Amino acid sequence: MFQKVAQLIQRSAVFVLLLLTLAAVAAFAAVNHLVTRYNLNQQARGRRLYAQGHADMDAGNPNLAIEEFRAALTCDRTNPQYQLSLGRALRDTGRLDEAESYLQSLWERTPEDGTINLALARVAARRGNLDEATRYYHNAMYGVWTDDADANRRKARFEFIEFLLQKNALLQARSELVALAAFLPPDPAPHLRAAQLLMQAQDYLDALAEYEKVLRLDRGNPSALAGAGEAAFQSGHYRTAHGYLQGAINANPQDVASRALHDSANLILETDPFIHRISDAERNRRISSDFDNAGQRLAACAQQKDVALTAATTGGAPGLAAVARPGSAAPSPLAQLNARWLEMKRQMPHLRSPGETDLPDAIMDLVFQIEQQTSAECGEPQGVDEALLLISRNREAADQ
Amino acid sequence: MTAAPAPASPVSRFRAPRRLFEAFEDVFDEERFFLILSVFIGIFSGLAVVCFRLAIDWTHLALLGPLPQPHSLKIIIVPALAGLVVAVLVMHVFPAIRGSGVNQTKAALYIFNGYIPFRTAVGKFLCAALAIGSGHSLGPEDPSLQIGASLASVLGRQLQLSREKLRLMAPVGAAAGLAAAFNAPISAVLFVIEEVIGRWSAGILGSVVLSAVASVVVERWFLGSEPLFRIPVTTFKRPAELLAYAVLGITGGVAAVLFAKAIVFLRPRLKALPRWTQYLQPAVAGLLIGLIGYFGFPQVMGAGYDFMDQAMHGQYIWQLLALLALLKIVATTLSFVSGTPGGMFAPTLFVGAMLGGAVGGLEHIFFPHLTGSVGTYALVGMGVLFAGFLRAPMTSVFMVLETSGNYEIIVPVIVANTVAYLVSRSLQPTPIFDLLTRQDGLELPSLEEKREETILRVEDAMLPPPAIILNAADYIDVAARRIEDSTQTIFPVRLQPSGWSVVHRDLVLRLFKEGKGEHTLGSLLSPQPLPSLFPDLPLDNALRYVQTYPIVPVVNRANPLKLEGIISSQSVFAKYGAPK
Repeated sequence: MFQKVAQLIQRSAVFVLLLLTLAAVAAFAAVNHLVTRYNLNQQARGRRLYAQGHADMDAGNPNLAIEEFRAALTCDRTNPQYQLSLGRALRDTGRLDEAESYLQSLWERTPEDGTINLALARVAARRGNLDEATRYYHNAMYGVWTDDADANRRKARFEFIEFLLQKNALLQARSELVALAAFLPPDPAPHLRAAQLLMQAQDYLDALAEYEKVLRLDRGNPSALAGAGEAAFQSGHYRTAHGYLQGAINANPQDVASRALHDSANLILETDPFIHRISDAERNRRISSDFDNAGQRLAACAQQKDVALTAATTGGAPGLAAVARPGSAAPSPLAQLNARWLEMKRQMPHLRSPGETDLPDAIMDLVFQIEQQTSAECGEPQGVDEALLLISRNREAADQ
Repeated sequence: MTAAPAPASPVSRFRAPRRLFEAFEDVFDEERFFLILSVFIGIFSGLAVVCFRLAIDWTHLALLGPLPQPHSLKIIIVPALAGLVVAVLVMHVFPAIRGSGVNQTKAALYIFNGYIPFRTAVGKFLCAALAIGSGHSLGPEDPSLQIGASLASVLGRQLQLSREKLRLMAPVGAAAGLAAAFNAPISAVLFVIEEVIGRWSAGILGSVVLSAVASVVVERWFLGSEPLFRIPVTTFKRPAELLAYAVLGITGGVAAVLFAKAIVFLRPRLKALPRWTQYLQPAVAGLLIGLIGYFGFPQVMGAGYDFMDQAMHGQYIWQLLALLALLKIVATTLSFVSGTPGGMFAPTLFVGAMLGGAVGGLEHIFFPHLTGSVGTYALVGMGVLFAGFLRAPMTSVFMVLETSGNYEIIVPVIVANTVAYLVSRSLQPTPIFDLLTRQDGLELPSLEEKREETILRVEDAMLPPPAIILNAADYIDVAARRIEDSTQTIFPVRLQPSGWSVVHRDLVLRLFKEGKGEHTLGSLLSPQPLPSLFPDLPLDNALRYVQTYPIVPVVNRANPLKLEGIISSQSVFAKYGAPK
């Protein structure tokens, strides 16, 4: 029998090839068994190291965790979880190049994966690379998530907006926030966060709208009340602000910031002569008081800037007193304003005349100019002057 | 009524498949059979290499753990003890497995008619796995090459192949083993052609390619198709940066020469020590490598692929990279010269990657606007050392391309590798493998030396065209008048529409005297034209003609009717015999 087989081997190529095929199949099966067992052992070891790595990450030992994730990867080189965790740990320890390479190789395999895109976006964000971060954050927002896709996408967008705000890309942040706000679930927490981010993006009107959404869902929410008050205040809606801030103080009497804003709003509402529902006498009283305040502010600012008060003739108006900078040829803006203030002071008695319809506006225009100029030259004012300055900035909306 | 069919006899039942069997037999001549056999060699080598890789990984895990940490006594003791075990096995059980295995495979091809004992495969498998797994600074590629060659040789012997085919089995198996170890079939084929076979031969190329591809398929089946390294994003934007890569080439060339000289210097000296020291040499080497690991550099232990990967991703600063390159040269030299079985490929790549990263990092300090990352320089550096140390320039380029999968890097790789190759060759004319072979008392052909050989060509022995060239259409009387005053004795004749012949002066004059002047030369000459040669052909080609014909025309390749010159036996032999 063996002799016949031996002869066949010598004579028949087909027989030899059949025999080799059988041997190859048998060897293949044996190696397959060996590799499978080895891989199973390695995977078990990898899982242990991976769990240990996570424990170390949670315990605040990222460097140790990196070694364990690396060791886990030596057991299962293609495991995306291990690579992702290693990439994240490397990123968190600032080893961005290495982190990126691990994450990039994962991304090449599954470019649509939201988790990987988010991790890469964070690397780009750590680097401060706006274009790359935008690309990966967008991929994460529109990518595939294995669980709770909406929440994860929302989380990615929030993070992206925070990054944009950090980079002072306010316009981009606002557009992302508007897109985000449209799809927020009826839950006060995300609306509140969106409103806070809108505040950071200086989009006060949209922030106010978001705070109001929060208040519709959670009527007495102190943060929302305070936020809405501040948003309304910043957008110049002082009466609205006053209401919300009052609510915020009632809900949380310790809220110092809201109280300060509330006082400012109150002062504005008491100072503003253009506010509706006040009598003419009250309006005139306010104008007169504001005018006096502006004059005092102008004088104080001139003193602060160490300018001498001198009598001068300016602009072809004989006999006007002017404040000029010592040694300067041209009168300073403060001097010019002072000259106009003195000129206007002479017209003040006409304020109560029924025919003087333009005078209140002219007086308040000068008051606002003085407040703005003194604010530019001598710093932000306090009290009534601050109120006047804010009224000047939000003249149209003040009464809303 | 029809008769029931008679039951088929066992013989008649066997007949149909047997006919099929015989029909197939006719299909398999020796060439085809050898090609199919190459695929099986690839499969078996691939399986063996998969097992070998598992054995190394398992040994490493069992002895050192997944990631050996410095300042642990284990990393000093393990390589030393493993060295002792390996030394005993090499001295008493597997004496033929010392070194990398490339030269042994080459020797099998050129000296031992393709014979590599099976014991070599077994010994190489066990000892190299133990040595590399325990942290000796060696790689698994060259042993894989030898294991593949050994399996192929065993198969060839069992199938009683002809001596010519049996000789070729070793390189076919070598390509398969190397391809599986590197997961890079093109590089494996090129390396076997460049370093083992030493010549381009169409006869074996098909078999080498088939076996390499089959083994890579098997390897990827089991170990996945992931490349050896995670390659960083590499770009090459500004041609001026080639200068920076050229600097890397110069540095790599010098480092390669230092590496080679250290091995060539130490190896014979250690071999010359008393026999009993050879038991201790691998252990001492292991101890020293362990000490390097213990004092903070465990990266140099083993093949070091993971650390190359990290270097490519900018994890190390340039000073550390430079130090690792130096320490790896020391560690590998120690391992190799002590006779520990294991390969030089992985250490070469390691040194190259570290050196490349170091040079790249340093260049970035002085030229911060360089676009190539440190990782890119590490990647190019791998090829640089490969070209400079192993002196396989084509393999080095393709290896980088295959492991990176990035074609953008090709120009820097070619520039840096070429520079390294030229620097290395100018500083040390003989390649490392050839030096090692000669130290072992063998003389094997080298493709590099062959490339450098001066080949005599036909143009070197060519004489200028004779003053008188006749045409087949010439009448005898006209031809006789032209040649009567000439001192030439033999005249080339241009045939129509193509080809050349020759005619002797006496024959033309005799025919003229016989009154055949109105005949054309062509009507009297043999219709068979003379063989002709081209100026660029090797002069060896002329040898087969100059003994038969008095002169052989040397013609222009573009216009065969244009005579560039002639050669004769005297001119050819004068060239061969001429003193330099």
